[in-house]
Amino acid sequence: MAYEYHRSGSLEEALVLAAGDDSALIAGGTDLLVALRKRKRPAPRHMVSIRSLPELAEVSEQAGSLHIGAGVPMADVLANTVVREHLPALTAALAVIGSRQIRNVATLGGNLCNASPAADSAPPLLVYEATLELAGSSGRREIAISDFFLGPGRTVLRPGEIMTAIRVPLPGAGAQSAFLRRSRVAMDLATASLAAAYTARDGKLINLRLAAGAVAPTPLRLRRTEAFLEGKPVAEETLAEAAEIARSEVAPISDLRGSEWYRRELIGVFLSRALRPRSTRMKGSA
Amino acid sequence: MSEEHFIGVETARPDAPDKVSGRTQYVHDIAVPGMLWGAIRFSDHAHARIKHVDTSAAERLPGVKAVITAYNTPEVRIGFLRDNFALKRDKVRQYRDEIAAVAASDPDTAREAASLIRVEYEPLPGVFSPEEALVEGAVLVHETDARGRPRADNVVPVRFAHHSGDIEAGKRASKFIVEGEYTVPLIQQSCLGTAGCIASFDARGNLTLIAKTQIPFLVQRDFNKALEALGLEGRNVRVVVPALGGGFGTGLDTHAYEYIAMLLAWRTGQPVKILYNREEEFAYLSPRQSATSRIRQGCDENGKLTFREIEVVQDNGAYTSWGATFPSVMLVPATSLYRVSNISFESKIVYTNNTYCQAMRGYGNPEITWPIESSIDELAEQAGMDPYEMRLLNCNQPGETTPMGLKITTCGLKECLDRTAEKLDWGTNRGKGKGVSRGFGMASVINVAGGGKIYRSDGSGIILKLDDYGNVNVSYGGVEMGQGLHSALILTVAEAFGVKPDQVVINQTDTATCPWDVGTHASRGAFMACNAAVMAARKLRQRLFEWAEEIYPQQVEESLTKARKHNPEFREPEFDWRAAASRDRFELADGILRVQGAPDRPELQVELGRLLRAIHFRKQGGGTTFAEEAFYEPPTDLPDWERGYGNMSATYAFGTQGVEVYVDEETGEVRIVRLVAAHDVGRVLNPQTLRGQIYGALAQGVGYALYEEVHTDKGRVLNPGFTDYKLPTACEMNFPIHIELIETNDPEGPFGAKGVGEPGLVPTAPAIANAIYDAVGVRIRDLPITPEKVLRALKHQRAGSPVR
Repeated sequence: MAYEYHRSGSLEEALVLAAGDDSALIAGGTDLLVALRKRKRPAPRHMVSIRSLPELAEVSEQAGSLHIGAGVPMADVLANTVVREHLPALTAALAVIGSRQIRNVATLGGNLCNASPAADSAPPLLVYEATLELAGSSGRREIAISDFFLGPGRTVLRPGEIMTAIRVPLPGAGAQSAFLRRSRVAMDLATASLAAAYTARDGKLINLRLAAGAVAPTPLRLRRTEAFLEGKPVAEETLAEAAEIARSEVAPISDLRGSEWYRRELIGVFLSRALRPRSTRMKGSA
Repeated sequence: MSEEHFIGVETARPDAPDKVSGRTQYVHDIAVPGMLWGAIRFSDHAHARIKHVDTSAAERLPGVKAVITAYNTPEVRIGFLRDNFALKRDKVRQYRDEIAAVAASDPDTAREAASLIRVEYEPLPGVFSPEEALVEGAVLVHETDARGRPRADNVVPVRFAHHSGDIEAGKRASKFIVEGEYTVPLIQQSCLGTAGCIASFDARGNLTLIAKTQIPFLVQRDFNKALEALGLEGRNVRVVVPALGGGFGTGLDTHAYEYIAMLLAWRTGQPVKILYNREEEFAYLSPRQSATSRIRQGCDENGKLTFREIEVVQDNGAYTSWGATFPSVMLVPATSLYRVSNISFESKIVYTNNTYCQAMRGYGNPEITWPIESSIDELAEQAGMDPYEMRLLNCNQPGETTPMGLKITTCGLKECLDRTAEKLDWGTNRGKGKGVSRGFGMASVINVAGGGKIYRSDGSGIILKLDDYGNVNVSYGGVEMGQGLHSALILTVAEAFGVKPDQVVINQTDTATCPWDVGTHASRGAFMACNAAVMAARKLRQRLFEWAEEIYPQQVEESLTKARKHNPEFREPEFDWRAAASRDRFELADGILRVQGAPDRPELQVELGRLLRAIHFRKQGGGTTFAEEAFYEPPTDLPDWERGYGNMSATYAFGTQGVEVYVDEETGEVRIVRLVAAHDVGRVLNPQTLRGQIYGALAQGVGYALYEEVHTDKGRVLNPGFTDYKLPTACEMNFPIHIELIETNDPEGPFGAKGVGEPGLVPTAPAIANAIYDAVGVRIRDLPITPEKVLRALKHQRAGSPVR
């Protein structure tokens, strides 16, 4: 597992290094190093560290959006007061990723670029309709997060391209969001997860967005379920019907974390729990 | 028992400071000069003939010192039935079979070289469950036995059974009968410290093996046999045991990697270390067996148990370890948990092409208590009884002899049941489950607690040696593996001999310096070590007091002379200390020698070190040093296994655990709300380590109940690591645990203590399953009880079709 380690001093330098043959970007390293140790991928010749690049390290509020540098450790995102106040689904997701030690080094950008179907930050960012800022040697571009993932471990990132920031529009007044998830034990990959964002107006769901994790090759917007529920009042029968749609909209596999059947069941439960008015939620439910 | 100074007193573990500050030396930390690293090439098939092994590429790799196979080394047979080989020659029978091994200058080179070895196979069909393996005409895992005689089937030739009373009469006397099939999965012992060893030969062919073992003297015997295979008859293996980093049964056998290290060290003339990483530990070390039990139990109209019938089938895997003798321990609860007079127990262990299994904490007891205690609740429901009342009605009693011939001396089971019920407010809480998703359950345990005789000696030797400063050095051949044995032993030696715990030092376990001990298993460590220590301490005191008759008066005289000289207000003691200085009047406590009845004056007391130096350097006639040996063999029988009869332990531990659970009926998730563990421990030696034993066992019990399983597919381990092998974390164990320690003061126990190592994980799973049933009315019969199983059962229940 021998490689040359480059600590880049600026984004420009990192882009040059990353454009070279057989190089890999490393930020927190919590996915990459484990994969290398388990020989799940060959060791690159060049390891290009983008950790603490100033261009990737900033969190700031800009014109109704929160700009989160892709290299910001999750613990720092989690500690951000704007995140905690306006983005409860993201807060809930980040709070259960790994352990505190992992969150101290793992970055938000890394969680997305690793493109695990179970990446916990993805469903919340999908429902917040985040925009991803990418930089490459041929220039910068922006992409909606819903267009980012292609498959397990695969994204639209071009060779040598670096995610620099995640831009999250801050939800307006009255907007609600939630993140639900279960795993076998604490500090485990999700068996299934679901994020929901909506505004409840006159008892009706407005501007509803739903996204699920660990139930398809990529984190996934549940657009059919959204369309069905949009503008409808929250009633148990409606929720039951919506849960049925959501269960059919996801495409889980059976693996050691759970069967296809159980994952679909969980998505249905999560959906009801996310949208059911708080007062009627089951005591002790997630 | 009220005069004791240290027994029962909360005392910090002696090994804690070194462990928390990283000074403890595990095998991982140890290197010896000139040491090479070994790596093993394992099989790529679950069952195949080996056609050709090409080691040339590995041999050419720089840094490689030796590559060995079964073709260029002597045959070394290993295992409980000698059905295994250090290196495999003609056939592989499981994925982890060792085909070749490499010694190299560093571990990475060794592993790389191992991966360069090319093996050609002729794949064979395999059998991957006992059912498949027992089919008429099934592929044979072993075509012949160890003596070369052809084998007819895949049944492992060890037999444990018990039949007593009259089952048919029992059935006729039954008003209610329940029947069920229960399974337990393959699980991993999950030691924090992975497996490893260092083998070094001296120039004469004697071997020192630093080994992660729980049975240094039994493995010495096995390793000495292997030396004979190398042509080194008459040479000896010295087994040195480092800090273990957890044993849990993994050290109850020898392992192929140890013999491979031996072979590599012999071939290269250099010490060789083999160390497994976590993934290797999961894939290449033996887990706990899976088992399927069919149980029938009945009771009369009053709830009195009328009969119990159990058939258990275990998946042995491809080779046989001591773990194949699990049914020897299953016999204890099968015949003797609660009073049942008509009993039938049959067991079968079957060869398959799965990973071969070995011992784990509880050794068959959790596997069989799971069906027994689940079935008791089913029976109680049939009979319309409170399951707690049913347990009380059939409770074991002190002084009884059970159908297996177990002589129950002290028995705190009734108290354990009562305390558990009381702490859970059982009468008010239980039976209200449905609708609130909250339930209560309990289950009990009987466990050997005074040794467990499965070998021709169940004894333990010990040596206590005094230095010139009043320190007691203890040489004991059992193993501190994290359980706190040394803490109990230190307190016992301090108490029994009469020094402070700080004056007791336990030496490293080493076959060269410690007397024989059968091993640390069966909850026997503290019971045996402390009994032997009490015997040796008595001998040591006796000899010391004989010498003190001459030396004590001299020392007192010296002190008095000094006092007369330096203290103007000196008064002569009004006590005839010369006359009192006799062996039967001496008292030794806290490292100070006194005589009974003497006034409390410093001149009349002699500090132990000073006394010992005076004896050692005695001017007239020469002095002496002190070391005393004792060997404790418990008063037990080696049972007749085919009849399942014999009193295998000097005493038995009992316990009851009760839990409250919350079941999420939408997701099937089970959350433990609180847990009560009431255990008859005989006597508490050190409350801190005792509670530690129970907490640790409970976590393993909860893991067994809810989370843990080694998944395999056609013999290949699918989850070789903690990513997908789930142990409960602190977050899952985040519920109140109430421990009740019941003291029954066992007459055979050291200061009344019983063994406590295993009972704590035995009843946890059935207690949880019973609570789940109470909460939501579904009974899960296969462990682990995953949310998915619970949800499926709930869905079936709602649809009106019971699961199984």
